[in-house]
Amino acid sequence: MNLNRKVHPEYRTIKNINIPVPAILKLDNGIPTYVINAGTQDVIKIDIQFNAGNWYQTKPTIARTTNEMLLEGTQNLSSQEIAEKLDFYGAFIHPQPTKDFANIALYTLKKYLRETIKILEEIIKYPTFPENELDTYLAKHKQKFLIELEKITNLARREFNEQLFGKTHPYGAKVEIEDYDNISKNDLLDFHKKFYNSNNCKIILSGKVDDKDIQLVNQHFGKESWNYQTEIKDPRFDFPAHVKKELIVEKKDVTQSAIRLGKIIINNDHTDYHKLNVVNTILGGYFGSRLMKKIREDKGYTYGINSVLVTFKNTGYFVILSEVGADVTKMAVDDILTEVKKLREKIVPNDELELVKNYMLGDLLRSFDGAFEIASSFKPVIELELNLNYYKKQIETIKSITPDEIIAIANKYLHENTLAKTIVGKYN
Amino acid sequence: MIKFEKFSLDNGLKFIVHNDPSTTIVAFNVLYNVGSRDENPDRTGFAHLFEHLMFEGSKNIPSYDTPLQKVGGENNAFTSNDITNYYITVPKENMETAFWLESDRMLGLDFSERKLEIQKDVVIEEFNQRYLNQPYGDAFLLLRPLAYKVHPYLWPTIGKDISHIRDANITNVKNFFNHHYAPNNAIVCVAGNVTKSEVQLLAEKWFSDIPKKEIESRDLKKEPPQKEARILTVERNVPFKAIYKAFHMSSKYKREYYVTDLISDLLANGKSSRLYQNLVKSKRLFSEINAYITGDIDPGLFIINGKLMKKVGFDEAEEAIRSELEQIIDGNFMDYEVEKVKNKFESVYQFSQLSTLNKAMSLSYFELLEDAEIINQEIDKYRSVQREEIVKVASKLFKTENSSTLYYLPKN
Repeated sequence: MNLNRKVHPEYRTIKNINIPVPAILKLDNGIPTYVINAGTQDVIKIDIQFNAGNWYQTKPTIARTTNEMLLEGTQNLSSQEIAEKLDFYGAFIHPQPTKDFANIALYTLKKYLRETIKILEEIIKYPTFPENELDTYLAKHKQKFLIELEKITNLARREFNEQLFGKTHPYGAKVEIEDYDNISKNDLLDFHKKFYNSNNCKIILSGKVDDKDIQLVNQHFGKESWNYQTEIKDPRFDFPAHVKKELIVEKKDVTQSAIRLGKIIINNDHTDYHKLNVVNTILGGYFGSRLMKKIREDKGYTYGINSVLVTFKNTGYFVILSEVGADVTKMAVDDILTEVKKLREKIVPNDELELVKNYMLGDLLRSFDGAFEIASSFKPVIELELNLNYYKKQIETIKSITPDEIIAIANKYLHENTLAKTIVGKYN
Repeated sequence: MIKFEKFSLDNGLKFIVHNDPSTTIVAFNVLYNVGSRDENPDRTGFAHLFEHLMFEGSKNIPSYDTPLQKVGGENNAFTSNDITNYYITVPKENMETAFWLESDRMLGLDFSERKLEIQKDVVIEEFNQRYLNQPYGDAFLLLRPLAYKVHPYLWPTIGKDISHIRDANITNVKNFFNHHYAPNNAIVCVAGNVTKSEVQLLAEKWFSDIPKKEIESRDLKKEPPQKEARILTVERNVPFKAIYKAFHMSSKYKREYYVTDLISDLLANGKSSRLYQNLVKSKRLFSEINAYITGDIDPGLFIINGKLMKKVGFDEAEEAIRSELEQIIDGNFMDYEVEKVKNKFESVYQFSQLSTLNKAMSLSYFELLEDAEIINQEIDKYRSVQREEIVKVASKLFKTENSSTLYYLPKN
């Protein structure tokens, strides 16, 4: 057989991506519930989310501590009993606190849902935040906090967020070690009471879900209002009027520097977002990106570099992040900025754009492959109450975007001179 | 129950096909039977450096990643002490691209000196990022040579030392390829909405003309039984004291392996586990503590590592760990606990099957060990472990003379 190995075998661009749209229903008490029935394994995941992130806290770390302490004791179960039961049924409950939201995810075998959902109900509705458990939690977290502070990448993240959003803004405020000494049981009870309510909550149910499972969810979370609050405060915060352009934190004895370059930018409910997402992918959003090619594959300055669009509820930010050899930090930063500038000045070659489009479509295909993947893809869409045709729009944009639009978006949002810079390590 | 079919090509390349009609993505996994245990002790880190070079151009294809990204694919790879594993996920209709790319780099590489130099820099930065510029990051660089004296598990996959990577040259890199990368030293698994006949057709087309190579059989030095406890204390820029303890355990082929794994679960799997409940929560001696097995094919290590609470001394911490291990040796655990960790194993196993790629990797790995079929016996193996076996294995495992301990002392 005469095989020509030099020629790429026949392939097709991805035409159709089947995006299953979650079924929407309301529990008897009105909790919006999104159901994704897919997959072949007998497993189920329940995501419960509350508007109860840092945004709503009046003291540092209260939102996170409340969320993570849910598992540490309830009116009817001790911390140890909760852990025992979950481990016995091979189930997992993960608290996931973010800047805007408090999420709690239960992963369970379908055959044990009847038992595991009871635990979920307990920890969400009736946590008691026992004092001794809180003491252990805080002592442990203080130590972990100090260990994390030794990592340059964490230092860079803290400094960079503060640089962008300011010391007092919930997206920018840094946690300090003293903050752990100022948390009381009452703070947590109070925060829970104010924000973990049936009228401040959404549920996503995914896996091999049938009507009986939905009924179970309704029975445990939907029968009547729980912890109802007539008024849920949604505070407002101002962004800093002035962002410092450059922040250098010198660290001795480091072999690498952590770099963050970025700015406040639109989030994913903006009409330009899907386009900006394509631009970001070209720059630093995949393994073959320009930044990876230049900083890793051409220069060997780093093990990895990428750029990310982070979405918050009330804004978003763009960031380029990497850890690079300490002695090449300055050169790396210069090369990064040159790549950003190039996006604005030079038209993206057609073959590169084709590649990025196909890569992104393939990536979307992967992010809808399986019930839990579908659920996590829809999670941010549901959190931000975006239209459920979000991904359809994204696919349309990926398919239709032109090199001219890319240059326009790059000029509109990503001027290299507008990026703030944080370096932790060496910079000279 | 995971169903699959197998076939082999004349050149010795083995294929496993797993049909999963629920997915539009195909997972293409290639396992090479070479890991850092196959390295020359004076040139460590090679298997891993080589993994990087596998992406730098093959005989007929100058770039590996670009054509794959062009068809919507994604890929990555990892190197362990035992194996080097490359994997792709790609939309079903474009799976031939995976056959094309993987067969060409099995046939031969074609990277330049310059690319070798750059990848050496990249790997050195990986070394920095993961091992040197992290608190406690050098733990396994220190613990392995403490526990092993002759077996090549004594160095980590990144290598003993940065200088080994810096000194790599194109000749010894090419030699490495010629000695280990061959169809008769690899296993491919294709998983997704595919049939055996379509895979076979493409396999014949792309892989059958790759010549077989003479592969030297592996003859690794056996680690002699450890006769006395080993201790190493280091001072580092870390905020808290830490303990890393290693005990020699059995090879993956022995039943003991599964028993040992369950012992690690009894001690530290989940928040209801003994070490967490007793040492982190009740006694507040550690801020975190863990127990796990390294999971190696040759006799590996059972590891316990913990970070001490600020005011706790090493003696107190040691004594507390010791007394937890004694409990297992003395059989002071409930049947309920054994049942619990078995349930948990089964549940984690089920969750892991959600991913087609995971299934493809596991099938390849079990085929390397013995036969892909043993993937379906795993649960029974764990289920059948008896309390008496746990006691017996623990008594042998946790002998003080079988232990190597690394202490981290904060500098200031």
